[in-house]
Amino acid sequence: MNIVVCVKQVPDSTEVKINPETGHLIRAGVPSIINPYDHFALQSALELKKKHNFKVTIVSMGPPQAKSVVQMGMALGADEGVLLSDMAFAGSDTWSTSYALAKAVRKIGKIDLIFCGMQAIDGDTAQTGPGVAQQLGMPQVTFCEKVDVDGRRIIAHKQIDGGYEVVEARPPVLLTMIMHKDYVPRYPSFLSINASLKKPFHIWSASDIGAEAQFLGLKGSPTQVDRIYPPPQREKAAMFTGSGNEGMAKILEIMKAEHFLED
Amino acid sequence: MASMDTISRNLMLDSLREYAKRRIPFDLIRELDEKNECPTAILKEMYDKDSLGVHLLMIPEEYGGVSGGTFDIYRICELLARIDLGIATGVFATFLGTDPLNQGGTTEQKEKWLKRIASENLLVAYGATEPDAGSDLVNMRTRAEHVVKNGKIAGYRITGNKQWISNGGIADMHTILAMAPGGPSWFIVETKMEGFSANKHEDKHGIRLSNTAGLSLDNVYVPAENLIGLEEGKGLLQAQAVFGYTRVMVAAFGLGCGLEALEHAIRYSQQRIQGGGPLSEKQGYTHKLLVPNYVRLEGARAYIEYTALKLDSGEHGLQTEGAIAKYGASEWGNKAADDAIQALGGYGFTKDFPVEKIKRDVKITCIYEGTSEVLEMTIYRGRWQEHLKSRGRYYLDMADQLDQLHANEPKVGAHASALGLRALAAILEECRVHKLTRHQHVTFTLGRLICAAETAWNFSIAAAAPKYSETIRFDREGWQAMARIFAREAALNTAAEGLALVLGAADSAGNLADAVNMEAIQIEQKGMIADMDLVSLKLKQTFKAK
Repeated sequence: MNIVVCVKQVPDSTEVKINPETGHLIRAGVPSIINPYDHFALQSALELKKKHNFKVTIVSMGPPQAKSVVQMGMALGADEGVLLSDMAFAGSDTWSTSYALAKAVRKIGKIDLIFCGMQAIDGDTAQTGPGVAQQLGMPQVTFCEKVDVDGRRIIAHKQIDGGYEVVEARPPVLLTMIMHKDYVPRYPSFLSINASLKKPFHIWSASDIGAEAQFLGLKGSPTQVDRIYPPPQREKAAMFTGSGNEGMAKILEIMKAEHFLED
Repeated sequence: MASMDTISRNLMLDSLREYAKRRIPFDLIRELDEKNECPTAILKEMYDKDSLGVHLLMIPEEYGGVSGGTFDIYRICELLARIDLGIATGVFATFLGTDPLNQGGTTEQKEKWLKRIASENLLVAYGATEPDAGSDLVNMRTRAEHVVKNGKIAGYRITGNKQWISNGGIADMHTILAMAPGGPSWFIVETKMEGFSANKHEDKHGIRLSNTAGLSLDNVYVPAENLIGLEEGKGLLQAQAVFGYTRVMVAAFGLGCGLEALEHAIRYSQQRIQGGGPLSEKQGYTHKLLVPNYVRLEGARAYIEYTALKLDSGEHGLQTEGAIAKYGASEWGNKAADDAIQALGGYGFTKDFPVEKIKRDVKITCIYEGTSEVLEMTIYRGRWQEHLKSRGRYYLDMADQLDQLHANEPKVGAHASALGLRALAAILEECRVHKLTRHQHVTFTLGRLICAAETAWNFSIAAAAPKYSETIRFDREGWQAMARIFAREAALNTAAEGLALVLGAADSAGNLADAVNMEAIQIEQKGMIADMDLVSLKLKQTFKAK
């Protein structure tokens, strides 16, 4: 089988702050990482590759420096890498990004499985993966935490409230992955990073994938972002230490003072 | 070897950072430091080519390595030092131990040994220092005598003692410098060879996670094929050929330790309220303990990168540059760590916070791979020759170059750096005229002044570059302010100390006071406080309180 994994380079959310005056993300000096859900999706795909000897191609869209996540994927074991990089893509929303990724998948050729992360930690929309499936007219199973392949049967564990359901599908199918609770992201060794330089890597422009300009970038994006703002900070919780009775007495005292309880 | 592309290098740094986060948390480091224990299993894991393979940086690709260049190795060394300088030293020892092979080994020797080091994750030690021979290796006593069979040299019997050998007690193989009949020569000695033994692990002030031991060689038989380069007498040349390069690595250690300690202090200063406000808002604190140290280390970083890129472009030797890089970074790193303890007050003095350990660790960077005093001499000697050869023009030409830069980029401290270089040229010339370099104190002090003045020169140039190095975490406004602060301090110190030095040694100093142009240097100090305010703000923005 041929697998495509779609990944996104995102700012490390633990270090991103929002400028309260402009509402913009302050990205200067913030390290970029592979979106953690995509990292899990990649590892899930690479496990299947190891077990069944499938071919894995890793695809990303972004500025030239996003090559980093593609190369990391190849260092971890993907066979080939593609970066969609073109000024025409700049400012694309989830619809437009799905369109470009779908075009890239078509150019790659016959694909049996597409792995995406459930969502990216910068935008948190969870729309791009399903969008790609829709653009390709491909069935999709979302919120998977585990995927197995048995012959031509794809068996996915899809998370639902209070547990998971097992969904079977036939390829081609697109899967979006959540993170398994025991998941530990792998990082490549120095040797495999060096070896990844010798794997086939392509940078494709909009015209390389036959994408129409009217569907790309800000112009081709139906989503309009009104404004981004940090949620109002909640007041700090008061913590009491001591025995249960002492704590209860303090809490009662406060509740009375705040008029939640009557004397 | 040329360096790798930025993406590959950053992926390696990410992998190392992630490994350390998971496997070497501070609590473990603290415990090992307390117990004076070297984590051999962790080192082995870091060398495991399927896990990290950090030692592969030094090994060419054709022998199973990744062909890292000096810039790559500097970046990894800085990060290793930020993790723990003891562990960093365990990696560095293999880098160093591999060097004689890389430099002087025959193709067959490299084929055999480098491949083994790469694939079997071998820990290596570099056995040069002896109880009575440190930087002056000519005094070494370890002897290698011929063992002749059928009229041919079949091998050597090596006898002697080595001291302060990093990885000495845990290495699988050692490169040992010994006096052969044809002169000093490097030999590959395996730990399992009969007559070879390591002494106890030293109880050290710092880098306690690094195994340091003396080695005893009692009539150890080494086959002739283990003589590196298969030619006797090349040992000292092979050792000296890599000083530029190995000193960049230790410079990166000083840099990494100093910055790590300071960044702890910068974060702390934003949380600690004193007298109604955070310490980070108080000039008496920031402009003494944080800003000058950070500025000096950024100057050291720029100089390390300048030297690393020169080496990666194929220039050889660079002993003086390597010495300047290491001397500046290690002395300023040591000072920064000391001030970081002060900045953390009582917390800094306890073992609960990493700064106390960093301060003990970083001191070694002023000692190993050439003590600061040996480096002062090396720097002086290298540049004194240039001063003589150019008939005093060496630093004047560099100053002229900065004048041009200042015309285009007036905000990078180029004018102050140029004043510092002209003052230096005047002082060197005065020393020549009055034959003052007969005083060792004069020569060593000149070495120190040269280091700061040249670092200022390079910092101004680097701060004017259209695109900054991947390592610079500040915007142009912030980094240029740092270059200005560095340049002013270097110029003032060069002139004031140089003048005092000459006055202290000569019968008369002629018109040196005019020649160093102290008045112009004083005028150039204008704006210093405003720049320090700006840098203080940039530090706070870059290293936010957690």
